[in-house]
Order: sequence, then structure tokens, then C-alpha cells
Amino acid sequence: MPQLDLDRISRAFGAVQALNGVSLSLRSGEVHALMGENGAGKSTLIRLLAGLDRPDGGQITISATATHGLTPAQSKASGLRFIHQELHPVPGLSVAENMHLDLPYPKRFGLVDWAALNRAARKALDRLGLGSLDPRTPMTALGSGDQMLVRIAATLVGGDGTPPWLYVMDEPTAALTTAESERLFEVIAGLVRQGAGVLYVSHRMPEVVRLADRVTVLRDGEVVSSRPLSETSASQIIEEMTGRQLDAIFPPRPTDKTVGPMVLRIAGLAAGRLKSATFDLRAGEVLGVAGIAGSGRGALLQAILGAIPRQVGQATLGGQPLRSSPVGTWAQGIAYVPRERRSEGLMLRRSIAETIVLPHLGALARAALFLNPTRQRQVAKERGAEVLLKARSVQQACQDLSGGNQQKVMFARALAGTPRVLLLDEPTRGVDIGARVEIYRLIGQLREAGLAVILASSDLPELIGLSTRIAVMRDGHLAEILPADGLTEARLLSRFYHRHQEESLSA
Amino acid sequence: MITVMRRFGGLAGMLAIVLFFAISLPDTFMTLRNWLNISQQVSMLTVVAAAMTVVMVMGDFDLSVGSMASLAGIVAAVLFMQGWSIPLALLAALGVGLLGGLFNGIMVSLVGILPFVATLATLTVFSGLAYVISDGRTIFGRDIPAAFGDFARGGPNLPGGIALPNLTLVAALTVLVIWIVLEQTSYGRRLYAIGGNREAARLAGIPVMLLRLSAFCFTGVGAAIGGLMYASRVASANPTQGDGLMLTAIAAVFLGMTLTRDGQPRVLATLVGVFVLGVLDNGLTQMRVDSYVREVMVGAIILAAVGLSAIGRNGLAGQLRR
Repeated sequence: MPQLDLDRISRAFGAVQALNGVSLSLRSGEVHALMGENGAGKSTLIRLLAGLDRPDGGQITISATATHGLTPAQSKASGLRFIHQELHPVPGLSVAENMHLDLPYPKRFGLVDWAALNRAARKALDRLGLGSLDPRTPMTALGSGDQMLVRIAATLVGGDGTPPWLYVMDEPTAALTTAESERLFEVIAGLVRQGAGVLYVSHRMPEVVRLADRVTVLRDGEVVSSRPLSETSASQIIEEMTGRQLDAIFPPRPTDKTVGPMVLRIAGLAAGRLKSATFDLRAGEVLGVAGIAGSGRGALLQAILGAIPRQVGQATLGGQPLRSSPVGTWAQGIAYVPRERRSEGLMLRRSIAETIVLPHLGALARAALFLNPTRQRQVAKERGAEVLLKARSVQQACQDLSGGNQQKVMFARALAGTPRVLLLDEPTRGVDIGARVEIYRLIGQLREAGLAVILASSDLPELIGLSTRIAVMRDGHLAEILPADGLTEARLLSRFYHRHQEESLSA
Repeated sequence: MITVMRRFGGLAGMLAIVLFFAISLPDTFMTLRNWLNISQQVSMLTVVAAAMTVVMVMGDFDLSVGSMASLAGIVAAVLFMQGWSIPLALLAALGVGLLGGLFNGIMVSLVGILPFVATLATLTVFSGLAYVISDGRTIFGRDIPAAFGDFARGGPNLPGGIALPNLTLVAALTVLVIWIVLEQTSYGRRLYAIGGNREAARLAGIPVMLLRLSAFCFTGVGAAIGGLMYASRVASANPTQGDGLMLTAIAAVFLGMTLTRDGQPRVLATLVGVFVLGVLDNGLTQMRVDSYVREVMVGAIILAAVGLSAIGRNGLAGQLRR
């Protein structure tokens, strides 16, 4: 079994010690998660492994061969492969051709042997269980998720030397949707079953908890911990990454006194994937919505918003029936932060100010029609400052912002209309831990100010840390509501599958 | 410096064209009379292109504007023949434009047909209707009231004894209205939001369906106004007279988009695009360039402008890498 060991690796850039005595073992057949805040040294480590940079000190041992630094060619010859979040496919060429970009095409009588080319691609795709992808389709026809899977499959095509055994994946899901990420996870599981190792670099806790066998946490260039996932937990990883206690990360939980009057009442609601939901929400309360992917967490929020048509049931806001479309519900005081902020929230090329005022154009206009640009910019600036948005100006295009700041734009937009109920779907997805703590603090402040919040999330520490109560979704039903105080991650997780367990026990 | 080049390169190119004609045609080109003449020549195109901008802001197209222009002219002329008064006949023709636009809007927004396909179909429908109503004939001469034809020839006098053409005024007014709608009202900004990301706009509480539907009404009415202006100018109506408008209008919007910072359609930029096309046509005609050669040159200039703008935005290397 091949193995890669880093022994007391150091690398400094000027006065900054990017890596300081880092030791790490990567084995085939396991997913090793590398976690850390921005600037913890993850990227430097990856560059050393790829041969793009050399360590100042320490030793790299690959399958019993020791060296003080790699070249890109050595890295590749040793069986290392790198999958970055940025894809550079050739859109005009077919999937099979993209998989052969750095390999000679198979030839027959001096001409390209298309059948053999497609066969080789087919074989590699099949090994990853990607039978549904046709090697002959043009790369452009694929989403960015499938393009990434093709990139991974390309590493399995032909080639001489050591077959690839260690995949270094740097934030692979950053540009993927939830569904695309799911397919990637299946492929990763397949790779590991076939004996490959994966170094998975991400700050997305749910992914790491789900995929990793081992977790190594870096902070300020040093290894804080490295142990099997079973010996740690999401909360502990967060504490190690930030160097702060969890209760310093999450705002204090409200007491009964801070919870106000009834705001939102949902009874027997069904819409699309949501089969039934009944609950009351009070001002100053955060209702967490938990459950496995596809259990109806997002559908519950979209049903309240009216983005998917409600079939049966009642929904009232402050005693008034909730209107049936986003046009009406935003006007009534519902605000929504969508899960996929790039595809569902942002107009990437438009400015921050334009994005923030969009749902409130009518309210901010003179005579409800004529724009008031001064007031718009002022609102955008004020709300931006409130959510600690870091940008050169509110005229900056949203695509130039980091994930965390894009998410803050979404918050500023939701808050610009002074809503009564705030719907949050995965509010910290793809957000680095620094911005995440700021978002947590913001949610705490909003709750204090008497806003009612519904928070759907796959991040368990976040749910437990922020919510007053947690609604558990199972197969589209809001199955039960648990008080968050004193709840453990393990216990919450067990409720996700509660009924399945009962069934298997009674069977 | 490079960003300045990118931002204003298009504008500089257009000024270069004007400069070229000003030097080549020293006696006739840079005169008030010639510029008023150009403004009148492009007035129909201005109205149609401005209206086209409204749908292109949402990322949609309306290919039926040309045949709607013909249809509106025919409707007015046929009603003149039946003895309708000028205002009533014009209003009815504008009503036809509104209905046509509404129909396009319903097809695109409610039924969900791609704008390209839906308006390609209504292009044929409107054109066919124009033939049916007119029996395929040109309506002219005594059937058209003299006052209607005189409108296009008249206009308030400017100091110096030159008339400001009425058609130019109508075009300016239309651009002003559409500029206010697109740039100064929440309605317009919502259209831009739909163009930016339709799903995000919907989830942000923007009535996407209704807005798309209504935007096509603007284009329908704009096309009808353009058609009536044309009919007034030639004091006649025939079922093919709007045919060239659609492609030129779309070309003008694209030319304009090369001028805006973020590459979005904007009505004032469209106006510049219209004038570039108008100036080229006017200048080349005065230089006695053969009309077929003129078409080749105009097409090549459009390509050069849009191409240079794309390269300016991403850099040549960026283009090659894509």
C-alpha cells in the first residue's frame, strides 16, 4: 500500500511562517480531511505536494523514497493528482477528448482512432460509476459538477508510471450545487473503495463529517490535531480551527423572557416535496430545521415564501393569511436567503447596491415608481455596514466578492425591508469560518431585536448553537420539534433516522 | 490607461467615423441641416430600437417588430380608407401594436416559448395579417389623408430657418419615455434584475411573469409607432415596408451594449448605436459608395465594434483561452 509522509515540513514567506513543523501521513484507501481557516497553511501544503513550491525544511517520503522537495513531474510520477475548484475544460471538445488533453490520442494508420479514444474514456468513466455520461458529448453540455467528475475520471485514463493513488481535492464543491456535490461524494467513495487515498481540503463541516476517515486541523501553520473522525466531532473541529470555545462562537441562547408574541403560524402545510408541517413561531425565536438531504428542509422555507405553490394547509403571519407568491410574502414581511446564492440569489455581474435594494425597489421609490438612487445607495451602505460587509464600495460587482461577503450581501438584502420573519437556507454554506462567526453574531443580534428566524441547515453545531428549538424533517414531514438547549449532535442526528430505526427494530 | 481604452474605445471609434466623414465631406457633412436630416432618417429605427432595448434588458428578443411596423401602417391606412379620422385610426393602429406585444408576452411569459421561437412565429403571423388586410397592395395617393403625410414633412422652425423634423421629435420623446421607464423607475430596474438572474429575481419577490409580459407590450407599441412614422414619411403603406427594421434595431442595441461598462443594454447607448448606423449610411451615401458595398461595410463595422469590445473586456488572451 503506498503511503505519503510529511515529516516536520516548514515553509516561511518573509516573516510569515506559513507552515511550521507539519507532520502528516496520507494512506491509500482513506479520506483525509485537511481543515483550517483561511491562512492556516492549507494552500501552501498543497503547493508543496504538487511540486509548485519547495519546503525550507523537513522531509517528504513517498512509498519509502525520501526527498526534501518535489518537482511537478515527480509529484505526478509518484501517483499524486490534484483537483482544484477552478475547472479549465475545453468546451468545444468532447468529454473523451477532454480526458485525453495531456495524453496522446490513440491512433490508427496515423489518424485518430475515435472508437479507441471513446472506449478508453468509457472505461475510466465506468470505473467511477459514471455510466450516464457519454464520452462523445461536448464538454459544454455538462454542468460544472459533471465537468469536475470528468476531470477526476481523466486521471484514470492510461498513462505510464505509478498509477494515481492520492487525490488532493481543494475545495472541490465550492462551485457546485448540492446535487452536483452529492455525485462527487459518490465518486469519492468509489475511488476510496478502489484503493485510492484522498486529501480533502474544505471548510464545509457537513461534507467533512460525512466523507472523512481522518481529520487534520491546521492553525497558523501548525497541526493542532490529527485523528480519526470517530475520535472527534464537528464542534471540536470548529474549536480547534478557531482556537475559540464553541460558546464564544455562537451568541448566547435567549431565555424565555426574550421570546415575544406569536408571529408565524403554520398548520398542516403541504407544498411540493413538503408533505406536512405544523408549527408556531414567536418573535425573537430561531427555529432550526434539520434533516438529511432531501428531507424537505429547503421545501419548507420555499413553501412559506410561496416559491412553490402551497397545496393544503394554513399559513398566517401576524394573524393575516400569508400570500401565495414571493411577490406577496416579501411585501408582507418575509425575507429569504436562498441556499444556492450564485444561482438563486445573486446577479453576479450587478453591483452590491442593486442586489440589496432589489426586493425593496417599490418601497424605496418616490410614488412607488420613480427611483431614488441616493436613498438606495444609503440603504445599501447602512445595511452593508450592519452585516459587516467588506467591499470597496456598494457599486462593486457581486462576482468580485468572496463567498462570505456574497452571503452578507444576501443578508443585507433580506434585512433592508425590516422583515418580521427571516428564512435562512444553509446561510453559512461555502463561507469561511471568520465570516461565519460574524454571521452567527448577526443572527443573534436579529433575534435579540425581535426578529423571528427559521434556519434550515445541514451543519449540526450551527443548528444547536443558534436555535431555540429544532424541527426535524423526515421524508417531507415535520416530524418533531426538539428544544435545542442541551441537545447533542449525536442525539439530533439519531432523530433524523428515528422512524427507520423503529421500523428496523420492529421488523 | 488600459481600462480607459476599454471603456471608451468604442466611443473613440465612433468619433473616428464622424471625423472621417467630416474631413472627407467638408462642405456637407458637419452641417446642422445634414445632422437634422440624419436624425430624421434614423427616427423610425430609433423608436423601434429603443423599444427593443426594453425586452433585451431582460435577455429576451422580439423578432416581430419589423412586421408589426408594417401591420400598424397598413391598419392605419385601411382605416383612413374607411373614413376614420386620423387620431382614431392612429390610436387603433397603436392598439394593434399593444395587442401584438401582449400576444408575444403571453407566448413567452405564460406559455413559456423561447422568445426567439415565439416572436419568429408572430413575425410571420403579423406579416401575413398585413397582406390579408391590404390584399397585398400598397395603399397610397388619395387614400392617405394629406395631413398625415404632411406631419412627417413638417416641424417647428429653428432659428436660422431650418425645421426640426416632427419625426425627430417623436423619436426623441420615445427615447425619453423609455429612458425614464428603464433608468428611473423601479419597474425598469426589475427588468434589469430579470436579465441578471431570473430565478433569483423570482425568489426575491419580483413578479417575473407579469413584468416579462408587460415589457413585450412596450416593444409592440414601439414597433407600431415606428411603422406609423414610416407610413407618414412616405405617405403610403405597404405590407413589407418594415422588413429591414428588426435586424437593424437589434444591431443598434448590440452596438450600444459595447459602450456600456457592464455590457448591458441601455437605451441611451442604443441611441448612440442607432446614430452610428445612421451616420455610416448618410456619409457613405454622400460619398457615392454603391449601396451593396455599403451593406458589406456596415456589417463589417458592426462586427469590428462588437469584436473589439469583446476582446477589450477579456483581453485577447482571455478570448483565445475560452
